[in-house]
This record gives sequence, C-alpha cells and structure tokens, in this order.
Amino acid sequence: MTQEAKKQPRVFNYFTEKDDQFSGGVAWCAGCMLELTARFIPKVLGKDIILVGCPSCSATVLYGQNIGSWHKLAYYSCLMTGVASSATGIARYLRRTGKETPVVCFTGDGCAADIGFQPLSGAAERNEHILYICYDNEGYMNTGYQRSSTTPLGASTSTTPFGSASQGKPTQAKNVPLLMAMHNVPYVATATLSNLEDLAKKLLKAKSKLSEGFSYLHIFAPCVMGWRFDSSLSIEVCRKAVSTNYFPLWEAEAGKFRLTQEVSNPKPVQELTKLLRKFSHLKEPDLRELQQTVDARYKFLKGLCEISK
Amino acid sequence: MQAKKGQIKVITGNAAAAYAVMLCRPDVITSYPITPMSEVAEQLSSFRADGLMDAEMVEVEGENSAMNVVAAASITGGRVFTATSSWGLAFMYDAVQQAAGFRAPVVMAIANRETPGILAVSGGQQDIISTRDTGWIQIIVENCQEIFDTLIMAFRLAEDFDIQLPVMVNYDGFYLSYLSEAVEISNQEDVDKFLEPLKTQPQRQKLVGGQPLGAGSHGIDLGFVEQRYKHCLALERSAVKLDEIDNEFGDHFGRRYSGQIDEYRTEDAEIVIVASGSAAGTARTAVDAKREQGIKVGLVKIRLFRPFPQKRLAQALKGKKAIGVIDRSINFGWNCGPMYSEIRALSPEIGIVPMLSYIDGLANLDITRKNIEKIIDETNNAAKGERYQEVTWIPLEWQEEK
Repeated sequence: MTQEAKKQPRVFNYFTEKDDQFSGGVAWCAGCMLELTARFIPKVLGKDIILVGCPSCSATVLYGQNIGSWHKLAYYSCLMTGVASSATGIARYLRRTGKETPVVCFTGDGCAADIGFQPLSGAAERNEHILYICYDNEGYMNTGYQRSSTTPLGASTSTTPFGSASQGKPTQAKNVPLLMAMHNVPYVATATLSNLEDLAKKLLKAKSKLSEGFSYLHIFAPCVMGWRFDSSLSIEVCRKAVSTNYFPLWEAEAGKFRLTQEVSNPKPVQELTKLLRKFSHLKEPDLRELQQTVDARYKFLKGLCEISK
Repeated sequence: MQAKKGQIKVITGNAAAAYAVMLCRPDVITSYPITPMSEVAEQLSSFRADGLMDAEMVEVEGENSAMNVVAAASITGGRVFTATSSWGLAFMYDAVQQAAGFRAPVVMAIANRETPGILAVSGGQQDIISTRDTGWIQIIVENCQEIFDTLIMAFRLAEDFDIQLPVMVNYDGFYLSYLSEAVEISNQEDVDKFLEPLKTQPQRQKLVGGQPLGAGSHGIDLGFVEQRYKHCLALERSAVKLDEIDNEFGDHFGRRYSGQIDEYRTEDAEIVIVASGSAAGTARTAVDAKREQGIKVGLVKIRLFRPFPQKRLAQALKGKKAIGVIDRSINFGWNCGPMYSEIRALSPEIGIVPMLSYIDGLANLDITRKNIEKIIDETNNAAKGERYQEVTWIPLEWQEEK
C-alpha cells in the first residue's frame, strides 16, 4: 500500500471514528439499506452539508416533526417535483456568497426516475454544482410498494401484482444512471452497500467534482418490506446483485466509463431473484428474459467502457 | 421627495418589470419562457449579458423548477425573482404553495393570461384567481409605471421581517406586458436607499450547512396549526404594511398608489364601480364622463387582492347606494365575478345594497369606456330602486352595442 493510500480513511474508520449524525432509534425498518446509506453519507462527506430531499422513506426521518428532528444535518425538504431544482437554488446562492457547502440531494427512485426526473435532467444539463444521490429501492416503498420506472421486469408490486392474468411488471427498468451519464456531467457512478469501500471512494470523488459541476450517484438499496426478504439478508441481496451483474458497479468521469468491480464469473440472476419474494412467481421463461436483460445491459456497459477509453 | 428625478424611458410593461428587478439587486433569478411574459426574462438576461446586473440566472427546464429554485435560494438567504403567466403559474402550483408555506420572500411578476381548460393566448385574470388560496400576497397594478414602482415595493414587503411572505405583482398580459409607455426609471442609489431598512431590521432565519436546521419539517397536530395561524397573521399584517410602504415610497420617489385600494371620486359618490388592473384607467375616464352628466359615481381600484383589503373596502363602500363590480375572470361555481363575490361577503360591513357583477375583458376582449359607462348607468338605476340583473356576461349579452 502506498503512503497516499494509507492516508485515506478506511471504511472501518468511518464507522468507528466519525460521529453519527442520526439518533440511535429512528423510524426506518430493520434491515433498511436506505438507513445505512443515510448514516454513511455524512460520515464520508462531512456534516457540513445541506441535504435536499422530498416525501419518501427517507423523509420519515430526515424531515423531522414540528421543531424536532432525528438528525443534526441541515435539511431542505421540498416536494418530489422540486429536489434538483431546490438544490440548484441553494447551491447558486451559496456559491454566489462564496460558500463551498456541498449541496446533496438524497431521494429514492420515485423522485429521481419518475416525477423528479425533469428537474434532475435539467440540473445535470446546466451542470449545477450539486451532488444527487438516488437510493434505488425499485419502487414507491414509502407509499406501499407501488411500481416505479426502476422496478425490474417481472417484479410483483402493489400496482403490478402477480395474478392469473399478470406476471408482474411487464416492462423493463429505466436505466437512470446511464441516462445521467449521457448528460456528460463530471461524475456519475453506481454503488451499493455490500461494497462500502467502493461507495466511500465514489462519494469522495463526487464531492471533489463539485467544483466542476454535477455529480450523480445511483445506490442499489434493497427494501425488506417491498421486496419481501428476511431483514438479515439485506447486505447479501446487495452482494448478489453485484455478483450476478444485475447491478454492475461502474463510474463515468466526463463521459469515460469504467467498471469499478469487474465480475469474472457472473452468477445466474436466479441467485438474486430466489432471495426475493417479489420475484417468486417467475417461471423459467420469465427468468430467462430477465437474464437476457441483465446480460444485454452488461454487454452494453462493457461496450461503453471500451469505446470511451 | 428625496429621490432625484429618474430617467424617462418609453418601454413595455415587461421591460419596466425587468428594470425594477435589476435595480433591486437580486441574487437569483429564474425564468422559463411563456407568452406574454418572456420579454421580462429576455430583458433581465440582456442586463446580465451587458454586465449591468450580476445576479445568478437559472434558465430552468420548466416553471415548476423556476419556483423551486427561487424558493430554495430565498430560504438560503438570497433576494430572488421569477416571472410567469397562466399555464406557467399552473405548472408551478405545488411549489407556489410550498413557497408560501415556507414563508419564502419570493417576488414574482405575472403577466396575467387566461388559464383553465380552453387554450387562450390572451389576457384575463383567471391565473390570479386560481392561486388566490395559496397564501401569497397578490397585488394587481394598472400601468407600466405602477409595475416598476410596485415591484420595488414588493421586495420591501416580501422581505420585511414582520411579513416574510412571497408576493405576486400582477399586470394584465398583452395589455400592459406589450404596451409601451413613458416610465420613470429611478436611480440606483435611490432604490438602494429605499430598500435599506431591510438591512437594519432583524434578519430572517437562513438555512446553513453544518447547523441542525430544517426547512419544511413535518407539521404534526398543533405544530401544523400554529404555522398556519402565524402564516394567516402575517398575511393580515401585510395589508397595513403595504399602506405604510406605499406612503414611504411616495415620500421618497413622489409617486403614490394608496396601498391596498385606490379611491377615485368616492368621497361624495352615491354609487361606486370596482375594477382592477388596466381597466381601472378606463373606468376613471368613464367616471369623469358620467360625473359630467350628474351621476355621483366613484371608482375603487383594488390593488391588493390577497389578503383581501376588507377594512379599507368596507370604509370606502359603506353607505353607497349601489356597487358595480367588474371582473376579468370567473368565480366557477358561483357564476359571477370573483371580486364581486368577495365584496358581497363584506355586506355586513357595507350594508345590503344592490351589487351588480359584470364579467368582461375575458380572452383579450376590451373593457371599453362605453361598456363601463353602461355599467355606471345600470348601477345608478339599481340605486334608484329599479330592477337589475345580478350577473352580466357583457361580451355575450351586450353584443349588439359594440
């Protein structure tokens, strides 16, 4: 290990040495990957950030109630339509007054991929100096597990339920991180909680890119309640998503793509789907179709890495 | 008068708005083009391009973002401005309500235009009406000079420590947005001086990184009710505050608008016509003409629509024998004009007298002097005890007299 690398705080240090900005008992579910993400972010980025978020699972804790709060961070809560735009307003004024406070959007996929996608895309195109973090739990988990546009093909949700005339969601997930990378912004990356070291590095890189403009982090965050798996398996689900190439870990710096963790022998997607009851109704042909989607996306990503070298 | 004489320019209402905003030294401005407001954004952009103004300009991808950007910048401490019209206002509706609930002192110019259902690229005040319950302060102005002056006053009002509410400055789209008039552009140092009290007041709470502060916490039970109540009280305070600021503006610049409402020949009037916006100017001419014919008529111009100027209207209208109200919009569900129904709600204070609702000027139709004179005649006849029609859709019912 080089001297340089030694100076970098390890993930272990983040968890032991940094103050937790959240109270011990909060209104998130046992095994919630959003909670781990939320607690981890200020440990890496520092507590002098302004978080911007909207009604969602995260809001149950981040919003606070009346004048009380479960955390010590500065937080701007707005509607689902206004996260990236509100962050724009905050960042523009702060920069105008010479302050470098990182402005960090923190939303689920319902906001990032669906109702808040327009302002997200707008802020990226304008290259606003903000970091947008999406914790992707593949649906509207706070309102009762409805489908969003990142819900995968075949998943049973409360609005695409499995039934005698339905095999779950009939269409594929929107690839939001790839869409964001196509805005050619300074930094886009995917990450998940089973690879915390990787997540920490990407958070730090995104922070360092704030002086250049827009960064986007897409975090795979399994939901115990919505996806229906045992709360002890959360990290295992993340791990399987990576090892099956269902959720490849990559980054794109100003249009240059790179896999940050290459999986040499990817496992079949069943390794992941068998853990999740939202997929339990899928038959062999459905799984084959899902596997084809995973393979095609991975191939496309590899291609991007090759041609943007 | 303390201010030096400003430069007279012949400019449109939109340009007058832009000049006023530039002189108020805003921090963050957003814009998304929409007819008939786009020129405001173009003018401000050219001021920025020519180095006359250093505000952060955000060319957002839609009006919803336009409002979110300025509301958040305002909560962070900035002086902010945006402008829109009609459907643009409708598209930012959620953020409009949030800005008011956040007590964000946003100033927004609206070149009024028709809204619901039927596509109309034409003037009307329906957009004001569709946002009257959002908790904003809404001011309606009559001419280009008043646009300029009221926008300067709007920053004083919005950012006042006792108010901290967003303000809409409304002017008739097409009529005033594109009308060129002589406008006195005040000098920078005089505008600075007028806005100076905002610096010496206690400063509003701002969102700061590293501090456990939140904007938009979840309002629970009494916490929610308390915030709503305080919001309502601030709105109530803003009516008197507007009168005070108007007075101060008059002392400083020599131009006055009488704050919440403007009364014209009402003192000895037996009947009164109520109008707002650019129609008020025409109404004044009609009042003069009818006075010459011996009808004791006066005009009340509504400037402040939210909060509704209850006290001053009651004073102005009390004891009058009949009241005719001209609306450039519809109160859906009541089949009358919105200002009319609001004034009728003041009946306990005013007294039970004939009140006549006139709907005119929809979709760019002119509210003509001839129409207003007929309104005065009908109102006068009603005062004398003649039978009258409560609601008249002038463009449909008086066609033959055009």
